Order: sequence, then structure tokens, then C-alpha cells
Amino acid sequence: MKLTIEDKLSLLASSAKYDVSCSSSGSENNYKTGELGCTHNSGICHSFTSDGRCISLLKVLLSNICIYDCAYCINRVSNDIPRTAFSPRELADLTINFYKRNYIEGLFLSSGIIKNEDYTMQLLLQTLRILRHEYRFNGYIHVKLIPGASKELIEEATLLAHRVSSNIELPSSKSLALLAPDKTKEKLLSPLKYARDISLQQSTKPISMSTQMIIGATSESDFEILKLSSSLYQKALLKRVYYSAYIAVNNHKHLPVPELSKPPLLREHRLYQADWLLRFYGFSYDEILSENQNLDIQFDPKTFWALSNMHLFPIDVNHAPKEILVRIPGIGIRGALKILQARRFKQLHFEDLLKLKISLKKARYFIVAGKDFYRTTSLYTEKIKLALIHQGSNIIQPSLFDRSIYTGEL
Amino acid sequence: MILLYDGSFEGFLSLVYEVYYEKLQVSSIVKQMPDTLLFERFHEVFTDEAKARKVLEGIEKHFSKEQQRTMCHIFLCDTRSHEMALLEYIRIGFKNPQELRNITNASLFYIQNLEKELLSLVHKMYGFTRFEELEDGTLYAKIETKFNIVPFLGEHFCKRLGNIPFIIHDIKRSLAFVKNDDIREIRSIASFETPNYSEEESQFKALWKSFFKAAAIESRYNPKLQKSWVPLLYRTYMSEFEA
Ligand code: SF4
Repeated sequence: MKLTIEDKLSLLASSAKYDVSCSSSGSENNYKTGELGCTHNSGICHSFTSDGRCISLLKVLLSNICIYDCAYCINRVSNDIPRTAFSPRELADLTINFYKRNYIEGLFLSSGIIKNEDYTMQLLLQTLRILRHEYRFNGYIHVKLIPGASKELIEEATLLAHRVSSNIELPSSKSLALLAPDKTKEKLLSPLKYARDISLQQSTKPISMSTQMIIGATSESDFEILKLSSSLYQKALLKRVYYSAYIAVNNHKHLPVPELSKPPLLREHRLYQADWLLRFYGFSYDEILSENQNLDIQFDPKTFWALSNMHLFPIDVNHAPKEILVRIPGIGIRGALKILQARRFKQLHFEDLLKLKISLKKARYFIVAGKDFYRTTSLYTEKIKLALIHQGSNIIQPSLFDRSIYTGEL
Repeated sequence: MILLYDGSFEGFLSLVYEVYYEKLQVSSIVKQMPDTLLFERFHEVFTDEAKARKVLEGIEKHFSKEQQRTMCHIFLCDTRSHEMALLEYIRIGFKNPQELRNITNASLFYIQNLEKELLSLVHKMYGFTRFEELEDGTLYAKIETKFNIVPFLGEHFCKRLGNIPFIIHDIKRSLAFVKNDDIREIRSIASFETPNYSEEESQFKALWKSFFKAAAIESRYNPKLQKSWVPLLYRTYMSEFEA
């Protein structure tokens, strides 16, 4: 049966949708007169799907044909599903036409493994070449490096794309061996290491890289996951780690049963919050969790940390430096900046904070502001916990909670 | 006293001039004569180019480039009555520019927030603006926004669309940013006819809709979250939300 381009697009977008590592931020303006396309450094969402996720890039697989059999993947060779592929030309034309109409910021291209790694990487590269050289397209391109593809191909991809990534998929080697026997952590990370070395040799700023981990398919604790993320950030290998609540699509003896399992969205949400603390709030992974611990469900990671460290509180908002202000539960980076700006002009009291639209619902238990502090609940962990639970500020509204993937304010 | 002016930037500058040189005590500033009974004194300011220029020169001397930009931005928030706050901003700035960062002052905090609101709208519309291709290859976008952001969008898409001619049409304000080989400017649009679209246009719209549908994950279905990101208000010209 011959598929129309519309059928192909539906199929190949649908196969790519579980990959969440899709954001177009972090590229400098690269405007060239008279050429098509330009990136924007804070990332732009062009629409939001009915599950509330941002559409920024044309996220598709070049093909959902795959010779491998990763247990968790819908495209694994042992699944009986319709298979198809775009030609590089079709995909390049689609990208240009979507871009012109401002549907997208650019392309996010990945693929199942057709024939072998190098063959697949070649097809991805051909698409990129048409876009960059023939259409002189400067819009955003994120390409998945195919683990196991040869160095020259990875090098070319690194030079043509804005971001490259390779998914770790599972947080430990043990789980990989169990569920993706063709992959090892080394094999998955090696293209990223090449890519980094290549881009460091170039004089321009190093290419940005990311990865994704599937959460809840295997038994790792949040501690292990955060420790891994933090080591990847520290080696400056990655700009972003994405977490993806496991959505059961296959039956497999080592995996949750599809009919009985729901994606662990709350856990995913807590991991994003904790990741935010690592990247922007100056926390280390072992401050957030201790060995083998999981993130608390009732309290967000910052509140949980504060409750376990009451000896550091209350914090004086009129004197504390920025690094300390951002550690107050309920005060994010924006709140801290407003406090810093305003306190140069007067001593701040609760009333002033409220006027600055800083919510005190959580923060009031943890701060002093001039003569003000929260008198009715004394500074004991258990009492504050009760008060927080009582006011319901920690009961997460399921409809809104994953906003923080993007804003992460706690 | 209540001041009436014509709503233009020059008009507002003329108003500032009169407030300063005639030492007016202002209680509110309006663009239209209210139709209720007034017990307060009422004064109409006529736009006067010479007065406006004088105030502008003063502003250019006393305020930083960034602060001048803020004032222009606030003025683009044309559906809010920002005039009293802006007048206060100018007064404070002439007295002591350091003080302009004092967000414990209600007017200054209002200005800071309003500017943020404008810029966040601009950012949203960088993504939500949709072009349709016309017969002659021109890309044409219709928008309806609470503030006047046509200048921002014009500049943004000049950088992106290379040599492709385009038009961004603000329907409610009857304005359009027009860019082609010869011109690049904002014009007022008295009337317009429904244009003819290119042959391919409906096909790409259909492809976009299929992509939009295919990209959603059913087991995470969450229309409330979707609505908080793209409120209904923005959806008028976004084809993926058409029934
Ligand atoms: S290699 Fe990729 S596409 Fe193929 S089965 Fe594994 S995860 Fe799926």
C-alpha cells in the first residue's frame, strides 16, 4: 500500500512523540540577511498539544523501521505495526513549508535504525544538507546521533545542527542490559563525547547537547537518577536532561503491564523540580536526597529540603544574599530578584512583599521581614508540615502541575 | 483636574508639557470625554508639536536608552489606562533617575509589570502568529492582540523570512506591517478584501493539523493545561484549533 505524505507524517510524528527532549532554546541569534530562518535564544512555543506540551519543532522520525528490539519502544522490530519512511527531500520540503508559515522553530529529527547505523545516519545527514546548503535554512535543527554511527558522520551532524542528543533511556547499565540488550551506557554516551570534542575544536561556542531518561520502567531510585544527571551536568557534557514518565506500550516480562500502569506523572514532575534545583538554584544532588531515597510526593523538593534543615531558618529577607533567598520555599528566582531590587529603597515587611506580588503562603514560615515573622506557627518542622498540609498549598492540581517543566519555579 | 488628550504619543508629551509649565494638579487622564456628570474641573490638551518636541528633548537628556524604551513600550499597551503611572514615571525620572528602580512605589511597580506583560505577549505571539501563503507567494498573517505589538512582530519576522514578502495585519487596530523588496513599514489599512491563497496552502494546513493531532499523547490528555498555555483568545487564527 502506498501511503500519502499525510499518512506518513501522522505515523512518524506519532512514533516520535514520546521523546520529550524538544526545546528550541539556547541558541544565539544567527540572523543572515536574505536567508531563511533565525533562531531565538529563549525558545519559542508555536502551539500546545491536547496533553499540554509545547510544540516548538517538527518532531518526527525519518523512519520507524528498526532492526533493534528495545523492550520499551513502540518501534521495536518484534512489534507488528505499519512501517514507513520519509525521503530526505520530502522531509526537507515539509520543514521549509512549516517554517514559512510559522508553525515551527525548526526540525527535531530522529530515526529507527534502517539496515545499519551508518546508513541511517547518512539519511539524516542528507536531510540536513538539503536544508542547510540547498535551502540555506538557518532555523533550529536538533538531530539525534545514532549510537554506533561512525565518527565522520557524527562530526558532520555536529557541524550542521544546533543541538545533538543521544538518549540514555534507562538510568543504569543493569536496566539497559535487561531491556535494551543492544545498547550499553558507553555506546549511548560515546556519540555525545565525540560531538563535544569536535565542537570544542571549533572556535565557536560548543554545541548544546541533551539526553532523555525513561522514568518508572525500571527500579532505580530518584537518588540514582539525580546523581547521574548531576554528573552529566558537571562534566559539562549536557545542557539538559529530560525525564519521561514511562508510558507502557508493549508487553514484556521486565516491564509494567500496559493495561495496569499509568505514567508516573507526579514523579516526573518532582524530578523536573529537583533538576531545576540542580541547574539554577545551586543545590547538589546529595542535599536534595540521601542514598536510595525517592523524592517526596507531598512536598516539593525545596520545601522538603527546608523542612529537614530548619536550623538554617528563618532567613532574613532584608539581608540574605541571592543564593540564600532562592532557597526559601515559595520564593523563586524572580521573587528573589524583586526582593533584591526593592530592599535597596526600604526595609521590607510582609506587606511590602505582598505588594510586590510575592506569595507568602509557603514562604512565611521560613522568613523574617523587618519586625514581621509568622507568629502562629513556631519554627518546628512538624508544626510547619501540618500547617502546610492544612492550607493545601502542596496538594498539586493535576491539571496544572507539569507547567514547571518549563518554568520550574518553586 | 481631569485631562483629556487625543491618545497619541505626541498628545501625551504635550500633556506632560502643560502639567509642568502650568503646574496642573492631575487626578486622571482620559482619551475620551466621559459621558457621566463631572464634578471636577476638566481640561482638554491639544496636541502641539513644538511642546511635544521640547518634552521629548528633555526625556532624551535625562533618561537612559533603556528607560526611554520602557516608555515607548508602555505606550503600546493601548488598551490599559497607563497614563497616570507614566506621568508619575516621568516626574520621578526628572527629579531623580536612581529612584526609577524603586518598585515599592506603586506606579513604578505597575510600569515594570505592564512592560513585562507586553513583552510576554510579544513572546507568545512570536510563536502563535500564523502565516498563510497567497497566490503571489506573499505570506499573510492576521492577528488580534490586546496590545499593539505589530512593530515587534514586524522586526522579528524580517529576520526570519529572508527575502519572502510578508504582511502582518492587526485587524482590530487596522494596521499592517508590510515588507517586500521595496518597502518595510507599518501602514494603516482602511479596508481589505479576502485575498486568494496559493494552491498549496490548504494542503499544508491539513498536514499541520495531522501533525498537531499525532504529536499528542492520549494517556497524558490534559486540555486544562493546554488552555492555560493557549487561552481561547489566542486561537482565532491558529488553524490547528479549528473544529
Ligand atoms: S533502537 Fe530506537 S527505535 Fe529501535 S527499538 Fe530501540 S529505541 Fe526503538
